[in-house]
Amino acid sequence: MADKIKLFVNGEEVEVESGKNLVDAVSAVGIEIPHLCYHPALGADGNCRMCLVGLEEGGPPLVPACKTPAQEGMKVLLDAEHIRKIQHDVMEFELINHPIDCPVCDQAGECKLQDYYMGYDRKDSRMTVPQVTKSKKLDFGGGVVHDQERCIVCGRCVRFLRQITKTGELGIINRTDTARVNIFPGRPIDNRYGLNVVDLCPVGAMTSSDFRFKQRVWFLKKVPSVCHGCAKGCSITIDHNREKYQDDIIYRFRPRLNQQVNGYFMCNDGRLSYRRENEGRLTQFRLGKNERDMLDVITGCNKEIAHSRKTVVLVSPDLSLEQMVSVKALAEKLGATLSGFSDGYIKTGDGDDYLISDDKAANRKGLEILGIDSSRKSFEEAMADAELLINFNNDLSLSYDESGIRSLLGDTRTIACSTHDDELTGQAHFALAISSYSEYAGTVINCDNVLQHFTKAVTKNNELPDVCAIAAELGSPLQNAGQAYAELQRAIGALSEYQPADIPAEGLNLNDSEAANVTA
Amino acid sequence: MEVKILSAKFDIEGANKLEVAKQHGAYANLDRLFSMEPADVIEEVKKSGLRGRGGAGFPSGVKWGFLPKDTGKPVYLAVNSDESEPATFKDRYILVRDPHMLIEGIIICSYAIGSHDTYIYIRGEYTTQVKELQAAIDEAYEAGYLGDKVAGHDFRVDVTVHRGAGAYVCGEETALLESIEGKKGQPRSKPPFPAVAGLYDCPTIINNVQSIASLPYIIENGADAYRQYGTEKSPGTHLFGISGHVEKPGMYELPLGLPLLEVLEKVAGGVWKGRKLKGVIPGGSSTPVLTPEEAKTVTLDYESMAQHKTMFGSGGIVVLDETVDIVKLVKNLINFYHHESCGQCTPCREGLGWMKKITQKILDGEGTMSDVDLLRELCDNIEMKTVCVLSAACTMPVRSYLDKFRHEFEAYVTADESSVAEAK
Amino acid sequence: MSDRSQLISTGEPFQFDKERDAEFERLVKRYPTRESMILPALWLTQEQEGWISQEAIAYIADRIGTFASKVYEAATFYTMYNLHPMGKHHICVCRTLSCWLRGKQEIIDYMRDELGLTPGKKTEDGKFSLEEVECLGHCGTAPVVQVDGEFHENMDVEKFKSLLATLK
Ligand SMILES: Cc1cc2nc3c(=O)[nH]c(=O)nc-3n(C[C@H](O)[C@H](O)[C@H](O)COP(=O)(O)O)c2cc1C
Ligand code: SF4
Ligand code: SF4
Ligand code: FES
Ligand code: FES
Repeated sequence: MADKIKLFVNGEEVEVESGKNLVDAVSAVGIEIPHLCYHPALGADGNCRMCLVGLEEGGPPLVPACKTPAQEGMKVLLDAEHIRKIQHDVMEFELINHPIDCPVCDQAGECKLQDYYMGYDRKDSRMTVPQVTKSKKLDFGGGVVHDQERCIVCGRCVRFLRQITKTGELGIINRTDTARVNIFPGRPIDNRYGLNVVDLCPVGAMTSSDFRFKQRVWFLKKVPSVCHGCAKGCSITIDHNREKYQDDIIYRFRPRLNQQVNGYFMCNDGRLSYRRENEGRLTQFRLGKNERDMLDVITGCNKEIAHSRKTVVLVSPDLSLEQMVSVKALAEKLGATLSGFSDGYIKTGDGDDYLISDDKAANRKGLEILGIDSSRKSFEEAMADAELLINFNNDLSLSYDESGIRSLLGDTRTIACSTHDDELTGQAHFALAISSYSEYAGTVINCDNVLQHFTKAVTKNNELPDVCAIAAELGSPLQNAGQAYAELQRAIGALSEYQPADIPAEGLNLNDSEAANVTA
Repeated sequence: MEVKILSAKFDIEGANKLEVAKQHGAYANLDRLFSMEPADVIEEVKKSGLRGRGGAGFPSGVKWGFLPKDTGKPVYLAVNSDESEPATFKDRYILVRDPHMLIEGIIICSYAIGSHDTYIYIRGEYTTQVKELQAAIDEAYEAGYLGDKVAGHDFRVDVTVHRGAGAYVCGEETALLESIEGKKGQPRSKPPFPAVAGLYDCPTIINNVQSIASLPYIIENGADAYRQYGTEKSPGTHLFGISGHVEKPGMYELPLGLPLLEVLEKVAGGVWKGRKLKGVIPGGSSTPVLTPEEAKTVTLDYESMAQHKTMFGSGGIVVLDETVDIVKLVKNLINFYHHESCGQCTPCREGLGWMKKITQKILDGEGTMSDVDLLRELCDNIEMKTVCVLSAACTMPVRSYLDKFRHEFEAYVTADESSVAEAK
Repeated sequence: MSDRSQLISTGEPFQFDKERDAEFERLVKRYPTRESMILPALWLTQEQEGWISQEAIAYIADRIGTFASKVYEAATFYTMYNLHPMGKHHICVCRTLSCWLRGKQEIIDYMRDELGLTPGKKTEDGKFSLEEVECLGHCGTAPVVQVDGEFHENMDVEKFKSLLATLK
């Protein structure tokens, strides 16, 4: 715990953490100092002047809160008429040259300018002279579209690309009120985190060409989740919505603050991986090429299982811990060989020293903790004389090329439980559609041993069973994810005191406590 | 009334050349300097009461005292030769006519503050001046006054000239540092102050050219000699620039404390063309204007200016005769500060442009009384809400014109078409 | 300030000539960071070419080892950097306070009426370009005009005419 200090805000004593600036220190106790240019991940720049507060006694009478360290005994004046007047005045300056085109702006509903305007200003404009005009709809590359007129020149985007990605594609060009954000011609935004500038932008000046105009943000349902794009497992918010007579679909992923995992940001690939939740999905149950009722297919599978003298069960390293536990129980029940072989999920050299991991599997740590053998050798040995492969969503095309798969499978019969419809499900003897991670709740452990729980975000019109349910149908003694979780609590000591809903939003760091508590 | 302290060599042919400058005493004090302790040099400068000549008037010796000791980092000296405040044209004379006085001052200051690297930041428009300055520096290097062993003493001083490129704001000391670092000239928030974290994040002293050039005299003749000129709180002499509507505009060295009107009359030949005085800008365009009535009692020093609710500033005096259209003058002023805003602070970036357009609207005969009120209110809303005081350098004088010459703004508002046309 | 963000591409790669190259290497040693060379390098470019192209900015950024966006920022922030070719003779007329008080407008009007030249523009033959600039630090000898870097003080229309006559 950081040291605590006492200071006064509007005459009332509050206890805050030392070593923070005034904006962060007092926001921790629920007092908001309006701010636009300051962002905790980018440091204080001090340009917007929205955060000016009064200091009684000592020091200058007005200070930018973002640049002022909280100090013992400080007397901060926020709720005073002259401070509110300053906030109002700064807002007025922000707005005089702003197009105020909220009705056609993507940011409407989550715009700081709009929020503060409602809070502080709401007066008729006194701007009776021509506005400064700048450019609109500039393609900055990397899926980022910029509107210079909406920009309040807070510099967050510029600082992000200089300080965090160190790629520096953006600059603030010119000076005085012709200052504007731009790329250097021919050097567009070109890095794997560029889309974060869209979230960072406090107004609607940075938009994502992917999301632009698709939805008004207030229609979106926002559900906390975990990105399954790679082993980092960035905390995200899934923004989804079901329009009238339509299916529930996802419009975007956004990073969700998690100091243990991803801070404020996420990579572009992860951000855009929401599309895979919407598209290319397997929604049918098939016997060979023919669509059947789920129950018919299950019955067929169970017959097949009963006949098989040697069965291999393959799990995807993307499954949740609950699902892995269910499948493991199934394999034990069937006397089948269980494998988590998924070398193909690892793209050596693709990762960086920031967020992106070489490993594109969301829960490889889960395989390890549950003691599921993932070696190529044992998988291939088991496959050599296997009569039946039950594959729980492991994308073999990542690990083998076409002929590799052909020779691997030989005449092994296959049951493919899959989220996506691809060549392998097309060739399977039985194909079972399963729900994907935006459609179920579960728990995963990232490459740094942080365990996170995510909830179900999307409810499809045609709801698909999750892996736990299929495993149960095929014979697993665990009937559902709840029972699997109870099993998990026995395996991972750190979970014993947590129900899924109680797992902290930033996850549990198993390194700190309980890695040693694992009894798989 | 004129004195020749700083300007002693200004009229000597070729005094910008080392040979001639030496004949007239340049670099004669270095042995004495190096025999002193640095702390004693600072003490002497404190005693002299020398106040920064860049505009703010902060006591130079006191400023040097703010340097933290033994940080293990180099200490930098940045000499402010940006000279861009309208009506200011004094440092230029030093650069061109007596550059060795500046170089000697740099050596003195460097020794006092323990600095070995100086950057002279010179405005980009000083194209011919920069050549002369660089030539003098080259000569000083050749003669061993600069370099590893200053005049044979075990003390290194390197001087680099860094050219600006058209940005008034770079005269603000932290914008100046940013500009040397290769960035846009955007002032930094303070604290930290440059004395603690300045150029390249190292302790840095920034002084105006004239402040630094005053040092050789002080070291040679002592603080008391310097204090013979000027007043108790404003000791010494200053290179005043007098421009605008006078008969003999120009740069004059005067002791501080003289009555303004007497100086205008006796030194600058009075208001030109026998016209009447309308106002005086006392210390550069950013200082509030004085009416003829106010001008009667003001003297050319920091205290008297403060008493008259204006500032000594850079000592750039502008005389306005009776024909000046104050609204047009205000437009000209706002134009300047708006053009020069670095653009980082919201109130300055957006506000100055707004003020400019409102003033234009009034000039166009389309303004209303509430526009005049708005203009006045915007001065308050912008001032002191920003990182640096460039915005205040605009709003302070504009407020003074609005308060002292409001009738001229109102005349534009109430005038019918024909009289506006006439006023134009 | 008008928008300066529009850069001109020559389509040709840029590099310093021998002399500027050597000057760059000499200057870079005077600073503890290479980024300090941004302004000096822009000056060297302008000395060499008379103006600064998109290619030159990219060259400077790469040579210094910094982001092109930073050099672009500096080139557009500092108004003395010419981002397009100027006339053979570049005329700067101070428009600020003291020069305004002492009649700079007459010189501007003269150029408009006699040469059809207005601020920000070039004459058709490309001989002159005109810019109104802020205070040039010569207010005591106002109005002042700077032609190709040389100061001309105490100007009036007559003197300006004879000055123009000397410009070939
Ligand atoms: C907008 C602005 C412009 C300034 N321009 C100059 C200038 O051109 N020359 C100068 O010496 N000081 C200028 N100053 C003052 C400097 O910030 C600084 O106070 C000064 O250089 C310190 O030197 P001194 O103590 O010797 O005066 C300016 C300040 C501001 C806010
Ligand atoms: S685009 Fe957005 S983040 Fe970037 S400077 Fe403008 S307002 Fe700030
Ligand atoms: S007050 Fe104006 S010039 Fe000064 S830092 Fe702010 S925007 Fe820049
Ligand atoms: S948040 Fe503090 S100045 Fe912008
Ligand atoms: S006002 Fe023109 S040189 Fe100063």
